[in-house]
Order: sequence, then structure tokens, then C-alpha cells
Amino acid sequence: MNFFKTFIPVIIAIFLILFDYKFSYLNNLRQGVATLISPVYMLVSLPEKLYTWINEQGTGKDQLLSDNQNLNAQLLKLKAQLQQTEQLALENTKLKSLLNSSHTLQQAKFSLARVEHIRRSRLKKQLIINKGSNDQLHIGQVALGAQGVVGQITELTPTSASILMASDPTQYIPVKSARNGVQAISQGLAENQYRLRLNFVDPDLDIKTGDLFLTSSLGGKFPDGYPVGRVIHVEQHKDESFLHVILAPIQQISDLEFVIILEKS
Amino acid sequence: MNTQRPYIFLLKITLFSLILSALPFNEVVLDMSPFWMLLLFTYWLIYFPVKGSLFIALILGTLLDILQGDLLGQNALALILASLFINNVKQSFHVSNLSTQQVYVFFSSCIYLVFFLLTHVLMHGTGNNYYLLLAPFTSALFWPVIRFSLAKCRHQ
Repeated sequence: MNFFKTFIPVIIAIFLILFDYKFSYLNNLRQGVATLISPVYMLVSLPEKLYTWINEQGTGKDQLLSDNQNLNAQLLKLKAQLQQTEQLALENTKLKSLLNSSHTLQQAKFSLARVEHIRRSRLKKQLIINKGSNDQLHIGQVALGAQGVVGQITELTPTSASILMASDPTQYIPVKSARNGVQAISQGLAENQYRLRLNFVDPDLDIKTGDLFLTSSLGGKFPDGYPVGRVIHVEQHKDESFLHVILAPIQQISDLEFVIILEKS
Repeated sequence: MNTQRPYIFLLKITLFSLILSALPFNEVVLDMSPFWMLLLFTYWLIYFPVKGSLFIALILGTLLDILQGDLLGQNALALILASLFINNVKQSFHVSNLSTQQVYVFFSSCIYLVFFLLTHVLMHGTGNNYYLLLAPFTSALFWPVIRFSLAKCRHQ
């Protein structure tokens, strides 16, 4: 009897680990309990929110005017850049129609969310945003920062969502080189290293330090063409048949205040 | 003591340890911070003898997994096995002085860490987060603080 009392919880825990790792049957349980305990995060982030609120209240009129002026200038610059991009997109469409290609660029729809909190455990880091299933967000949607891909929504509560970082070891992103279109799969390196590695890259392929890798629509999980990382290390190990390529993510998360959530096409 | 009280106290310490585990420390501090849930649960195991404590460890560990977004069962398995050790030395723990209790807490934290890392390594490959190895030491160091604070709360 004592044996069962001791080993049943251990067996249940092992079963949970295996099922959570291999399948997604336990996602509903996770969502339900996460909703129940989400007030803990609200409570923990309360001092930070209070500080932000007090800071915002204390911002002077002059400061706001100067911020406004700066933002207007920045907006103008971005509009000018967008015109160039639109011109390129138009040319691209024309060329593709000449080539009879069925691939077309899709106009992305998105929503903006504020980063509420960085959820850190000892071996994992996730971002908590202030929008959830009440705002029509869904699991699997891609989150972008100003510079590039941040990650993917993996957990939802009615009022919040957690984003698994691109640098997490469980996150796989199909990528392609911006220079020559070389395709690969990126995977996060362990824990706190905030780096990505490219898996299954043939040694004959042309990859150099400094190459930019973008998301690829291969597999249909990610939209095409958003920056993921830049190559910082390329090495051929003697006993391995693939190249060892390390990327530094383009998007830094330390100064991330807002994220863009792309709608699923 | 009323039979409900151990569970009310458990509810309070669960909430408290979930809050402590969710505090936004920086990475190094977080890695070497004590295993709060284990420390608070150890106190409860020692001073509130009830049956089915390993099932409670399973529930608390799963809550922690969900709170921190870890693999479901990772903290649960570690907490169950560490609690098993505490249950085995319970009699001796109860009558020991503070420093011997710290040694017990250190060993239970080591068990926790080993199984926590083992699950991670088996599922996701190796990692080199050396600050994590300090967590059993800080757990042992914080044990007197936890013990005296919870003793005060218990007698209120």
C-alpha cells in the first residue's frame, strides 16, 4: 500500500512530462489552470505598473510635445521608406506575373500588445502580453518586435498571452538567407544564451558570418520574410556531416515594450 | 488544532511561494535563488503531518510548472522526490538543531535540482547554466528565515 502511495505520484509526474513533451492533449488543462493562477502575475507586476503609471502622470507638457515632435519625424521617415518598399513590392508583383508565378505577397494584418512581464523560470523565458483570447488571439500566432521575430504565442488566458521566445530550445523556425535564399531550420540554444543555431545545413552551402536569416513560409507556420537572426559563427566539426551555424537574434527583448501580433492568414 | 488548519496554512504558503517564484528577478539572481516552493513545503511537511503529502507535492509542482511555463511535471517530479527524502528524515529533522536542518534542506534541494535538470537534459539536450548549481546552497541559507517567518505565521 505504501509502495503505491509513493510511486503513483511519481508515475503521474512522469506521465505528465512525457505527454506534455510529445502531445498537446494536456493543453486544455494548462490553459484552465493558467487562467486560475494568472492573478499571481498581475499581483507581481503591480509595483511595475504603478511605477509606470506614476511616471506617466508626472510627464510634463513640454516632454510630451517634444516626444510628439520626435515621433512625427520618425513617422515621416518610415512613410518615405514604406513608399520605396511599396515600389519594390509592385515591381516584384509585375516580375512574378511575367514569370507566371502563383506566389503573391500577402498584406499582413496585425494587432498591437503591450509586454506586461517577462516570465522567467530557471530554464525558460517567456513574455506575457496584455491581450488574450478575449482579444481574438490564438495559439501559434507570431509576435514581432520593431527589428524582427520575437516568438510565438503558446499559452492563452482571457486577458493575457505568453510568447515563447525564438531563442527557446523548443522553438523551431524555418528560415532562409536574405543573401542567397539558403533554407534551414533554426532552433533556440539552451536557457540563458539567447542564441539560435541552424540545424541540418549542408557543408557545401554558402553561409558566411554576417548573413541575415529571414523567416520562410516553408511549412506554413511562419509568414515569409521577417528578420530572425544574423550569423555570428560558422564552423565545420570533423565528426559531423552538417555545418555548425550560430545566429544572434535580431530582436533584443530587454528594451521591448510593445509587440505586434500577426493574424493567422 | 482544527483539522482544516493544515490545509488553510498550505493554501497560504502555496500562494506565497507562487508569488515568490514569479518575482521578476534578474537572470543570475533567479538562477541562484532558493527553491521557494520546496522550502515552504518542507516546513509544512515537518510541522503538519498529514497523509497523502506526495500527492500534494504533485499538485504544487504542477502549479509551479504552469506558472513558469515549464514542461508539465518537471517541477512536480522534482518536488515529489525531494519531499520523499524529507518524509524519510522527518523524525530526525524535527528534533535537529538549525544547522542540521540546513544540511537536510541542502540535500533535498540537491535532489530537486538533479531531477529538475535531468528532465530538462533528457527532453531538450544539455545546457550550461552554472548559477543553478548554487540554488541548493541558497535554499539552505534561507531555511532559517523561512522557518522563523512561517513559525510566526503559524502561531498567529
